[in-house]
Amino acid sequence: MEKVLSKIAEVTSDPYGYVAGLKERKNKKIIGCFPMHVPEEIVHAAGLIPVVIWRGNEPVTWGHAHVPPYDCGITRSFVDDAVRGKLSFMDGFVFHIRQCLQAGEFPFIMERHFKPAYQKILYLPAIYPGDATRDFALKELESFKTSLEDFTGNMISDDSLKKSIEIYNKNRSLMERVYEIRRAKPEILKAKEVMQIVWSGMLMPKEDHNELLAELISGMEEKSITPQKERIKVILVGCLCQTLQFDILDLIEDLGMIVPDDDLYIGSRYFANPVNLNGNPMKALADRYLTKSPLCPTKGVWDIHWGDEAIKRMRDNDAKGIISVRVKYCPPHTCYYPDFRSKMAEEGVTEVMIEMEHEIISLEGVKTRLQSFAETIGGV
Amino acid sequence: MAVVAGVDVGSLCTKTVILDGNGKILSYDIMRSGHYYKGAAEESIENALKSAGLKKGDISYTLGTGYGRGAVAEADAEVTEITCHARGAARLFPEVHTVIDIGGQDSKVIGIGDNGRVTNFVMNDKCAAGTGRFLEVMALALSVDIGEMGDLFFASKEKVDVSSMCTVFAESEVISLFARGHKKADIAAGIAHAIARRIMGMVGQVGLREKVVMSGGVAKNAGVVRAIEERIETSLLVPHEPQIVGAFGAAIIASERMSATIG
Repeated sequence: MEKVLSKIAEVTSDPYGYVAGLKERKNKKIIGCFPMHVPEEIVHAAGLIPVVIWRGNEPVTWGHAHVPPYDCGITRSFVDDAVRGKLSFMDGFVFHIRQCLQAGEFPFIMERHFKPAYQKILYLPAIYPGDATRDFALKELESFKTSLEDFTGNMISDDSLKKSIEIYNKNRSLMERVYEIRRAKPEILKAKEVMQIVWSGMLMPKEDHNELLAELISGMEEKSITPQKERIKVILVGCLCQTLQFDILDLIEDLGMIVPDDDLYIGSRYFANPVNLNGNPMKALADRYLTKSPLCPTKGVWDIHWGDEAIKRMRDNDAKGIISVRVKYCPPHTCYYPDFRSKMAEEGVTEVMIEMEHEIISLEGVKTRLQSFAETIGGV
Repeated sequence: MAVVAGVDVGSLCTKTVILDGNGKILSYDIMRSGHYYKGAAEESIENALKSAGLKKGDISYTLGTGYGRGAVAEADAEVTEITCHARGAARLFPEVHTVIDIGGQDSKVIGIGDNGRVTNFVMNDKCAAGTGRFLEVMALALSVDIGEMGDLFFASKEKVDVSSMCTVFAESEVISLFARGHKKADIAAGIAHAIARRIMGMVGQVGLREKVVMSGGVAKNAGVVRAIEERIETSLLVPHEPQIVGAFGAAIIASERMSATIG
C-alpha cells in the first residue's frame, strides 16, 4: 500500500515531468483535456493518451498578459504554463467551452500563442430538457471523434471505443471500491492521499492506474485500522475543475476532523457513474454526460438540488457537517452557492465555505474558520 | 471554587479575563500585542493576576483564543475567537442572536442559536479593511487621536463618501478629500459609513436576528456603532468593555471545562 501511495505521490508532485516522460515511454501523442466533462474514452480509443489539465503550483507571470486577474486559478495557471512553453510535450487540446465563461477564452488564446497540432472545441449542451439536446450532444461527440480520426489518420471503430470504455469503467469501479473502503475505514487514507489517488488517474494511462489501484485496494482491504471515534466526520463539496490546496486538507485533519467521502471534482465526481456498455458506445457516452454524470453547477439540471445530494452524502456517512470549497472567480459555483447555502440553512446543516485562490491563501484565516466550524459541530 | 483565565491574543491587543468560581469577573487586562505574542500573553496574564491580587498558581485552567491563541504558553486548551465572542456575548446578553465583532485585523458576524451557541458565521480574512487597523491608519491620515474618531462622527454636517475599502487606497482618498476642502468630521463620518457598508454585506450573509451585540475594539467608536445601527436599522447592544468579550467567553469555556473535570 505504501509503495503504491509513494508512486502516486511521485506522479502528482511533478505532473509536467511525469506526462513528458510518459510520452517518451509510450511513444504516443498526448491530448490535454480541459476539465471537467470531456469524454476521454474517445481520445483513448484513437490511440492517444488523454490527460486532464491541471493547475500548476507557481504564481502566474506571463499569463497575466493574456487572461484577466479575475479568472480562476486553473485558467490563469494553464495559460501561463502554455505561454511559458511548459506544456510543449502536449500535442493537442480539447476544450468543453460551454461549461463556464473562462473556458471559452482558451481556444483563441491557444491558437494565437501555442498553435497546437490538434485542437477541438466541444459545444456540449449546458442544459438538457429533452431529445433535442441529446441529438445535439451526440452530434458534437461524433464531430469530436471525426476530428481525432483526421488527426491520427486512423478510424475509431465501435469495438475499440467499447474497449476503451471498458478500461475507463474498470477504473471507475476500482475508484469506487477505494471510496467504499474509505467510507468504512476513514482513517485508512489521509484526505490528501485520496486526492492524489484520483488526480494520478487523470495523468496516468488508465491501464497503468488500474494496476496500481488493484494493488492499493488489496492493501487497504488487508489493513486493520483502529477507529478514532473522537474525530468529527465532515464531507467536502465543490472545488470544481482543480486540485484543492493540500495544506487545507492537512489542516482539516489537524483540527480533529476526518473526511469519509467527498463531492469534489478531483474526488468522487470524476469517477461517478459508469458508461452503459450496451448498444451504441457514442450514444452511451452522450448519455453519461447528459443524465448520469453527477449534478454540477456547470450543467442545468433543474429538478435535482445539489444541496440535497450533498446532505444525503453527509447523512449516509454519518458526518456532522459540510465544508464547501469554492475556487475564487469560479462563476458556476459562485452563482449556485447562495442557493446551496440556503438549502443548508433550511435543513439545519452546519456548513462552512472556504474560498481558495491560486496564489494567495491566508492559512491562518482558513484555520480559524475551520476550527470554528469544528467547534460548532463538536458542540463547544 | 476554581479560578480560571481566558486569554485573547489579538493582532493588535491582548486581553485577559480572570473569573472566580461563580463566573464573576475578578479582573481583566488589555495591552498591545506587539510582535511577540507569547510574551504579550504572559504579561497580560501577570497584569490581570496582579489586579485581582492573585498569583500564577491560583489559576486552575487557562484557555487561549484569538489570532495568537497558539502562543499562550499557559493555556490548557485553545478555542477560536468566534466561539469565544459568541459565548461571552450570550452570557452578557442572553437574548443575543447576532454578534458583530470588529477587531484589530478582522471582522466577523456570528449567528447565535437560542442555546447561546454558534450557528453560522462569516469573517474577512484577506484584507484588514474596516477593522481596527484601518481606523488607526485613517486617524493618522486625519491627524486625530483614534479616540476622537467617534466624536467627530457626531460633529459631521455634510455627507462625504469614502468609497475605497482598501486601507492604502482609502488613505489616499482621505488626503484627496482634504485637498478638496472637506472637513475632518465629515471625512471621519464617511469612514464610519464605509465600515458600516462592509459590515452590512457580512450581516446579509449570516442573516440578521435580533438582539445584536457589537464586540471588539472598534465598538468603542460610537460613530461606527451609530453608522452600523443606521444600516441594519436596529440598535446595537455594546458591552461596557467590548474589547474583552472574547477573553470573557474563553474564561467561561475554561470554567465549564473545569466544572466538567471536577464533576
